[in-house]
Amino acid sequence: MSALTFTLKISPVQRVDCSPLTPEQLHGKSVAEIAALPLWSGKRQLRVDEVFDISRIGKDGGDDDSEDSNDDHIVFLNSSAHLDRIGQGMRSGRITVHGNAGDYLGLELRGGRLELHGNAGHFAACAMSAGMLHVHGNCGDYLGAGLVGERKGMRGGTVLVTGNVGDRAGDQMRRGLMLIEGDAGDYCASRMLAGTLGVLGKVGRYTGYGMRRGTLLLTQTPVLHATMADCGTHTLPFLNLMFKSLRGLPSRYAQLDQNRVRRYAGDIANQGTGEILVLLPP
Amino acid sequence: MLTKLTGGRVYDPAHGIDGQVMDLYIRDGRLIARPRDDEKVSKEYDLRGKVVMAGAIDMHTHIGGGKVNIARMMLPEDHRADPVAHSELCRAGCGHVAPSTLTTGYRYAEMGYTAGFEPAILPVNARQAHLEMGDTPIIDKGGYAMLGSDDYFLRMLTAKKDQNAINDYVAWTLHASQAIGIKVVNPGGISAFKFNQRALDLDAQHAYYQVSPRDVLKSLSRAVHELGIAHPLHVHANNLGVPGNLDTTLKTMGASEGYPLHLTHIQFHSYGTEGDRKFSSGAAAIAEAINQHQHISADVGQILFGQTVTASGDSMRQHANAGLANPSKSVIMDIECDAGCGVVPFKYRDQNFVNALQWAIGLEIFLLVDDPWRIFLTTDHPNGAPFTSYPHLIRLLMDKSFRNDMFTKLNLDAQAMSTLANINREYSLYEIAIMTRAGAAKLVGLHDRGHLGVGAAADITVYTEDADREKMFSKPDYVFKDGTLVVRNGQVVQVTWGSTHTVRPEFDRSVEQDLRAHFDRYHTMKLDHVKVSDDEIAEGGRGRVQVQPCLGRREKTR
Repeated sequence: MSALTFTLKISPVQRVDCSPLTPEQLHGKSVAEIAALPLWSGKRQLRVDEVFDISRIGKDGGDDDSEDSNDDHIVFLNSSAHLDRIGQGMRSGRITVHGNAGDYLGLELRGGRLELHGNAGHFAACAMSAGMLHVHGNCGDYLGAGLVGERKGMRGGTVLVTGNVGDRAGDQMRRGLMLIEGDAGDYCASRMLAGTLGVLGKVGRYTGYGMRRGTLLLTQTPVLHATMADCGTHTLPFLNLMFKSLRGLPSRYAQLDQNRVRRYAGDIANQGTGEILVLLPP
Repeated sequence: MLTKLTGGRVYDPAHGIDGQVMDLYIRDGRLIARPRDDEKVSKEYDLRGKVVMAGAIDMHTHIGGGKVNIARMMLPEDHRADPVAHSELCRAGCGHVAPSTLTTGYRYAEMGYTAGFEPAILPVNARQAHLEMGDTPIIDKGGYAMLGSDDYFLRMLTAKKDQNAINDYVAWTLHASQAIGIKVVNPGGISAFKFNQRALDLDAQHAYYQVSPRDVLKSLSRAVHELGIAHPLHVHANNLGVPGNLDTTLKTMGASEGYPLHLTHIQFHSYGTEGDRKFSSGAAAIAEAINQHQHISADVGQILFGQTVTASGDSMRQHANAGLANPSKSVIMDIECDAGCGVVPFKYRDQNFVNALQWAIGLEIFLLVDDPWRIFLTTDHPNGAPFTSYPHLIRLLMDKSFRNDMFTKLNLDAQAMSTLANINREYSLYEIAIMTRAGAAKLVGLHDRGHLGVGAAADITVYTEDADREKMFSKPDYVFKDGTLVVRNGQVVQVTWGSTHTVRPEFDRSVEQDLRAHFDRYHTMKLDHVKVSDDEIAEGGRGRVQVQPCLGRREKTR
């Protein structure tokens, strides 16, 4: 399989906007052309080869600089938290990042697969509409939230996080699946509109604040604010179906198989048709 | 420093100059008479073959005040989609339909406009409007203070207060809000909306105050006239956008009993109910009435196709239109318990029957009103279209074949309902100069703007004659603002800061006694905080207040 590899060779002082480096945009370009592309860094523009060592590995494993090579896989090595907007607007293909990523990882992701082996900054999966973001590490605040000023967050796709996430995960989330294996910060699922958000670890304060619809799946009973209503314990057969659909995911969620939950409805200060389901031991 | 503009073809309707080749001289930001031959010309511009006009004046454009900011906040997609990078001179900005203040100023200047007037300054919100306009570079600005749905005024009407008391209150409002005119929006209707009335016709009674829009119009138009303010009462009539509102508009023209009225965005008030879809053009009747009634003037509020946002103080009508919002979101709100506000994004489409007919109605009004001194070129920015579409609109008015080409692309049912294709009139450059310069300055009461006579401010726009009027008017060769060259070849070359124009009619200061008690009891602000001082406008050297004299409505100079 071919891959185009960007190895970070400087330690950037300013943040670097990596949004031009996606499979669609680099398709059919030679290494020399890619090297000359401009990247914004603060108020300056840098050439790609000022920031990265670029190498293209062909299908046979050797160096391949032919123009028709298939760049459906892009790899970032030695990545740092200064690299923003990795995978912005990606529609297909794969990006794998080794090291940390900056803010807006997978911004407006529309397809393909984006994998991070490290920690992500704020606004990962912001305004995402399809595809898969898999973070082997932690994420900052506003995971899967909306663009600034917008009224809807993530609209589709799957986000898997093995570590912890910051505040406001799933803010204004509209559709899609967000599965967090670690802890979530305050205001988890705030203003959520629809979709499914799971947290296996702890959640912070004001969980489901302003939640309108949607499902928040937890394993531990959170401290809830006054406008979340306890609806008692239930056996919900749909959970078996849902967990069955998660079987194929490379995640601890694939092992879940329970259908006994305590259900909380809310936020009753904002329509109140959202639900928090806390899994109970079988 | 003496600047000479040599050999341009000058259109200055205020002095009856129609394309005469002549030289202009500028000193200290003013036009002067021909100097003595031995005086040294420090800078000469060769304008031979070029068209020279005064800087254009937009007499109705929403460029400041709470609702514009709401529109900006509500439409992040508009700002994301239209970023403007900073340059050596200009600062960064963004926005197509509701641009940032700085971008607004640059874009106006780059189109040859040197003044714009915000038509809906709510007195308690005047500071916000002036701060935004103070951040709008290059152009001159000013605004009309909104009265007519405020409780203090309606109480006065209910109590049948003496006209002199009303005049004092109107004058106080002009002083406090640093405005140059008075506007009334849906007379009484914004207040009636809060008493659960969802429509208010000209002679309907306000449920609580028991006054009608006719009473409001009569009293305010008289006050404006008696105070000697040049700008007649600026009226956004009742029933905006309602099919059949034609009758309301015609009756409104008579409501002031002869006192001057300016009917704004009249296109939105010229709808009949004929045809299968009960929506038709009332343009002929409206234009006929304007032609007959010398005390009436109007601006059109032309719509042009594409995305825009409607921002109005008319919360009653905006509430009714909110369901048509595109994208689907809107803000309908009260402001400081004293007025309303409605912001509804809109997309006008040429294949939509109603939108296509609205487009045709606007143009029909332009072409059927005979006197260009009483009809004005606006899109009611951003309600009909953003102001950047003015050059396109000018081409529609000046080029019949272009207009007819555009017309044939419209919704077919709308074409069948319009007489536009049979109207042969084409505006001349002279008439465009009346509409956008001389007439506008006269209407607003800018005594030293909009003309090129001796003593006028040297706000001058120079175009290259081009058969494609859109191209010609979108990129002037030179724009001078107060004698300074600010735009060359459609690009800002120097950023200056314009004046804020106001009027200050005399009034009895004791009006404040009762007003203070009213503010203390009912308002969110103290009376003294409502008043905007000159210092606030001139702060940082970015602006100054220019008080225009109250000499009454100027007569035509020819």
